Amino acid sequence: MNAVEIENLRRVYRATIGTFRRSIKEVVAVDNISLAVQPGELFGLLGPNGAGKTTTVKMLTTLLIPTGGTARILGYDIVRQADQVRPIIGFIFGGERGLYWRLSGRDNLQYFADLYRVEPRVAKKRIPHLLELVGLKGRDDEKVEGYSRGMRQRLHIARALLHDPQVLFLDEPTLGLDPVGARELRSMIRDLSTQGKTILLTTHYMFEADALCERIAVINHGRIIALDTPAGLKRYAQDLSVVEVEVFGIEDNALEQIRALPAVEAVSVENQDQRQVVLVQSSHGSAVMQPLMEILAGMRVGKVVVREPTLEDAYVRLVGGEKGIAQVD
Amino acid sequence: MTGLLNWLRVFVRGAVLSYIALFRWFRPAQYTASKIVMPLNQILFFTLLGSYALGTNSAPFFAIGNSLQIAAVSGIYGVTMSVGGERWEGTLVYLFGTPASRMSIFLGRAFVHILDGMLGVILGLAWSGLLLGVDFSHTSLLALALTILITAASTSGLGLLMGAVSLAALETFFVNNTVYFLLLVFSGANVPLQNFPGWVQAFSYMLPLTRGIQAARQIVAGAGLSEVAPLLIGEAAVGAIYIGLGYLLFRTFETIAKRRGRLESF
Ligand SMILES: Nc1ncnc2c1ncn2[C@@H]1O[C@H](COP(=O)(O)OP(=O)(O)OP(=O)(O)O)[C@@H](O)[C@H]1O
Ligand SMILES: [Mg+2]
Repeated sequence: MNAVEIENLRRVYRATIGTFRRSIKEVVAVDNISLAVQPGELFGLLGPNGAGKTTTVKMLTTLLIPTGGTARILGYDIVRQADQVRPIIGFIFGGERGLYWRLSGRDNLQYFADLYRVEPRVAKKRIPHLLELVGLKGRDDEKVEGYSRGMRQRLHIARALLHDPQVLFLDEPTLGLDPVGARELRSMIRDLSTQGKTILLTTHYMFEADALCERIAVINHGRIIALDTPAGLKRYAQDLSVVEVEVFGIEDNALEQIRALPAVEAVSVENQDQRQVVLVQSSHGSAVMQPLMEILAGMRVGKVVVREPTLEDAYVRLVGGEKGIAQVD
Repeated sequence: MTGLLNWLRVFVRGAVLSYIALFRWFRPAQYTASKIVMPLNQILFFTLLGSYALGTNSAPFFAIGNSLQIAAVSGIYGVTMSVGGERWEGTLVYLFGTPASRMSIFLGRAFVHILDGMLGVILGLAWSGLLLGVDFSHTSLLALALTILITAASTSGLGLLMGAVSLAALETFFVNNTVYFLLLVFSGANVPLQNFPGWVQAFSYMLPLTRGIQAARQIVAGAGLSEVAPLLIGEAAVGAIYIGLGYLLFRTFETIAKRRGRLESF
């Protein structure tokens, strides 16, 4: 049996627009998604803003009724058997809302332990253990309103683990965590996976997906556009080579010229103080080097690196599609 | 058995925690103002005004009526905040993702407010005795206590319904002020019901508080429990109907919000 099985799942939102002359607009957030996650698998869901990741997770966690299609968690239907699904899943949605701010961290956990029907003697041991696991030990008697954003996020993670669920849904779990905290969380996610938990994770950080996930589905406009292992996804960018050029003060028309070169697939610019790192993805390997250098001839050029494509390159190619200039700050 | 124990834990712990977490007046200054100063002002104002207009022997009528009305401060404002406050905290998504009994969550939200409401009524009656000369020497205290309990509970029943309304309608204070005002006028706290036309009286008897106030007045005047029993049973029945309607709306809200994707908007 699959841990998560999704068949033709679809969700349409109806949004009213305008205040006086109201009209109804339909947004297809999830458009016939099908996939299966094996028990114990760590599965990633990637996609740009508004792709439908959160909507998918909400349906799988029984918080949103699908417009069409079905999904089962360990064999239980998410709509008809929602009561059987809820005790076996844990979930977090990135962000800091959704806690009782005027209660202490410990009281929040205590209440949710009751709501998840955790036996008091089990909760008594598990709550301190989880507080320690997420690094809130010693701060657990303080009210959540006095916590930092990252501390609240950690409390959410502890909350999701209270009833030792078999399947975990983590929607952008490292959002707002500092680099050390994010790294700790990643290793925690890996541990949970080693313990045999099935985990479905969404993230915007490619290295995170690359480092954690066994398989990844890339979704865009509510549809799965690729589903593979990280190595498999990188093959989408296999024929690409990526040239990174450090330039001090590049002009817009130079970028236009680069973009117009025949072998160039995509160009993006990363601004760092006075210098820019221009990323050129090309399909003809180093053939692009000479014309590129000719365009940059009059400018001060720093480091030039030719590197292997990463998961991010594959992702940008998949969801970016058209040849364009992306600005990254 | 473990199911029942868990039901009780969710009820009691949820009751206490949600009171602290969601009831925004639970801070020293706000609590004193809303639960003690405001109600006492109301009792004094209506009693002095009423005695001025109708003579001092009408003081008990107003004092007892307005003391019982204090139950509506906890029962309406307090309970509504403890139910509707979930939306402000953004906890609905997490709450409705748990397998917990919705009934124990919902009823728990009213529990502490019932006790709190009783305390308010008792304080009001004490002031009535001390400052306004209401005579409790013929009063069966047991019957009065039971009346206060039932009235505080039935008023909280209406509060539960208003709380469910505020979850669905995203609006709390306008609705609450209206309900509080309706109770003030139509429960008979300040106007003898027989002064109203028949259809208004019929409306009055659909509200909580109405029968409880009548029972309390009779008990203070010397009536025993058996004489006011029909009123108390009626008051309890009215409360039960509001609790039932509130629960129904609460469940309906969950279903509709999950269908429309509205658990998070506020
Ligand atoms: N409650 C809602 N009502 C109406 N439309 C919604 C609602 N929630 C989401 N949408 C729309 O559905 C689409 C998918 O949103 P969703 O939140 O699933 O995206 P996402 O992939 O999680 O994006 P992000 O990476 O920004 O979190 C978007 O177009 C969004 O505007
Ligand atoms: Mg999202």
